[in-house]
Amino acid sequence: MNDYSFNVKKELAMADRIEGVKKLFTSKSARVETNKGDAYYDKLFQTCQARVEELKTQQPINNRLDIEDVLEAHGIERRDFLKWASAVTGMLMLPASFTPLVADAALLMNRAPVIWLELQDCAGNSEALLRSDGPKIDEIVLDIISLEFHETLQAASGHQAEKQLEDAMEHFKDKYLLFVEGSIPMEMDGQYGTIGASAETFYDHLMRVSKHAAAIVAVGSCATFGGVPAASPNPTGAVGVMDVIKGKPIINIPACPANPANMVGVIIHYILTGQVPELDSLLRPKFAFGYRIHDNCERRAHFDAGEYVEEWGDEGAKNNFCLYKVGCKGPMTFNNCSIVRYNEGVNWPIGVGRGCIGCSEPDFWDKYAYERPMADANIKAPTGGVEKTVDEFGLGLLTAAGIGIGIHAVASALAGKKEDGGEV
Amino acid sequence: MITRQLIEQIEGEASVYFDIKEKKVNFATVTFPHFRGMESILEGKNALDSLVISPRVCGICGHAHLMATVRALEDAYKNAGCEIILSEKAEKIREFTLIMEMIQNHFKWLYIVIIPELAKLTNSILEKKPLKGAYAASLAAKAIAIFGGQWPHSSYMIPGGVTCDPTQIDILQAQNHIDELISFFERESLGIALDKFLSFESCKDFNKEIQSDITLLEESLIVADMNHKGLAYDRFIVMGEHDFTHVAKLKQTRAFGVDSKYVSTVEAYSPQENTYAYNALYKDEYYETGPLARMMSISLPIIKNMHRRYKDSAYSRVMARVFEIGYMLNYAKELLQNIDILQESVVNVADIKKISASGLGIVEAPRGPLLHNIEIKQGIIQNYKIITPTQFNIGSSTIEKPTSVQIAMKGTTKEDALFIFRTFDVCSVCTTH
Repeated sequence: MNDYSFNVKKELAMADRIEGVKKLFTSKSARVETNKGDAYYDKLFQTCQARVEELKTQQPINNRLDIEDVLEAHGIERRDFLKWASAVTGMLMLPASFTPLVADAALLMNRAPVIWLELQDCAGNSEALLRSDGPKIDEIVLDIISLEFHETLQAASGHQAEKQLEDAMEHFKDKYLLFVEGSIPMEMDGQYGTIGASAETFYDHLMRVSKHAAAIVAVGSCATFGGVPAASPNPTGAVGVMDVIKGKPIINIPACPANPANMVGVIIHYILTGQVPELDSLLRPKFAFGYRIHDNCERRAHFDAGEYVEEWGDEGAKNNFCLYKVGCKGPMTFNNCSIVRYNEGVNWPIGVGRGCIGCSEPDFWDKYAYERPMADANIKAPTGGVEKTVDEFGLGLLTAAGIGIGIHAVASALAGKKEDGGEV
Repeated sequence: MITRQLIEQIEGEASVYFDIKEKKVNFATVTFPHFRGMESILEGKNALDSLVISPRVCGICGHAHLMATVRALEDAYKNAGCEIILSEKAEKIREFTLIMEMIQNHFKWLYIVIIPELAKLTNSILEKKPLKGAYAASLAAKAIAIFGGQWPHSSYMIPGGVTCDPTQIDILQAQNHIDELISFFERESLGIALDKFLSFESCKDFNKEIQSDITLLEESLIVADMNHKGLAYDRFIVMGEHDFTHVAKLKQTRAFGVDSKYVSTVEAYSPQENTYAYNALYKDEYYETGPLARMMSISLPIIKNMHRRYKDSAYSRVMARVFEIGYMLNYAKELLQNIDILQESVVNVADIKKISASGLGIVEAPRGPLLHNIEIKQGIIQNYKIITPTQFNIGSSTIEKPTSVQIAMKGTTKEDALFIFRTFDVCSVCTTH
């Protein structure tokens, strides 16, 4: 082969790769149907309206705070409350006309029977919601629910708490939403975690309490995929809720910690429609996990421009360049933190130059963690994404990003040469 | 007869087994029935992965775990001959976020645990206001997020410094949160200005003329006779190097030097039920750690006065922790004012693969000294050991050699004992990790 044809081939191959990358990264990754047509929404509106009207006729659950009173006590005006409701409506991917219904649903929160279990965990998700990572009203809404039913936080303890739990399970049989925080240790007959006055294993406890739940919401990476306790060598045989519970609707809200905004979204959706939201293949609600961190990342322009942080503290870091080369897993991670952010929208890991660790994906603790750029991270295809289209997209992603980085690496090497005064 | 009492609201669960004689606690043991195996999870992994995994030991003091990890890694670098000198800016930002985590913890403990429990015990006029604790804690968490990206479970500290590079606007935002937090504390908890509170020199200064959450708390502690109950060994230990406290071992008020090599652990004693906890000792003796220890070691007049009157009673333990909120708020405010944003956030360090050494990181977590010990071979973790403050305070030992909490509960009624147990601020998930 002569030099000429070699060069042409090389250029063609490069052009192909560039095309490939362009296609992948400009392709509509969020294959979530956000407009399902007027007929669909009209019907849904009527269903929701009927449900809200019905809920209004029911009595609030004993001892539950009235959200209107609490909002008033916190000095939150009706106007701000409606602003919040319209944001939630948007998050749930519903048309703006649903805003008054969402507001009503939030006010009816004290009609929603929610039971919260804490299993093998660090209590981080309850800390996250107690310490309110969501906007202020999310915090209040969650406080109302969590302070009443949370195993870590409820006022009663021991036998009294057990009694309360029994009563709630009986009274709301087949109607309550069961929130689960923490993984389930299966080794040693489940003895790595026991709970309550009778020292029941987490597994038995979960099975008993979930039996008559309407749906189960697994909150945080431990409850969804086993989380850090399941990291190699998984000393306690930790697994997620969906590994042990079959034949029940399960909604997974992974991330470490899970974002309280997404928990509120699920609850409101349930109150509003009586149903679980649309889920992806890993049972994550699409409204929150329908797109990748990368799609809406504030540093995305730098990725596209091939501008990377090469090492901590370099000029790139000072200029908020893309963190991909120092291990950011944003391109592989489905979650809405780039939009919702954390701690009342104050910030998120990429905002402080840390990069995403992929904490809402299965096995992040072993495969995604740290400084390894994705191409070196030994990640096979992600096990899921948004339905099939995005699953396939995800499959292609690793290679694509690998190519992407290859091209950018060439570009930055060339740029470097120029700066050195060398010939290009 | 031995009775079991389940303890909740403590980041996980614990059981206390009471041996009651003549309506008083003769002896009690503590069981922590949860286990995850964090140390063995860390072993065999890239040493830098510990920055992601360690904070997840605990949902309430994960930041302290992150800092202990990063200090352990930096110590390993030093022991491998590659000492890392941090910029003052990085030091201060780390310190700031650590303090804010402490503050959120104390607020939550005060309003969600201590006030409701004390109200139960005394049938007093103390009002339960858990949302106050949640609000104050959320402000503190927001201040952390400005530098740390999120709370809980941030990983923004790395060997060599911090990844964030705050602008003046970030600093202003953080100052704004601190100011709001201070005015919230003054308005909702103290009823007086923070400066005035910090100038208190005697317990008598908890002015009975004004009524606030804090004066009512103080009064209720006296009503419950907690100034004469809950006494432990009157021995304290502070081990984390920080500018806000002194590393010291105190026997009553006499201070001695400390060397971490004397820290050891033994399996907890729990004859009734399987426990996963260890007890931590210093020179084979049990010590109390946490705010009272930290405030004692810097000899604050009010704390000295408190100690002279009421020794290491439950009263002193609770009030020292409340005082620490004010002290730390003031300290954090000053710290922020002195951050020079023009300095480097992070300095270059050698590739972790070149590091084969062991390292020890110690920080003061909300509940006291937290020790992370790491052993690295060519960048891979060979061994990891975590010793937490609750292991010092809430050990469970035999009747011949009781731990701080066991001594403190002895001779009281079961109801009092349960309150005293909580004055140590228990963290179950840390204890067993």
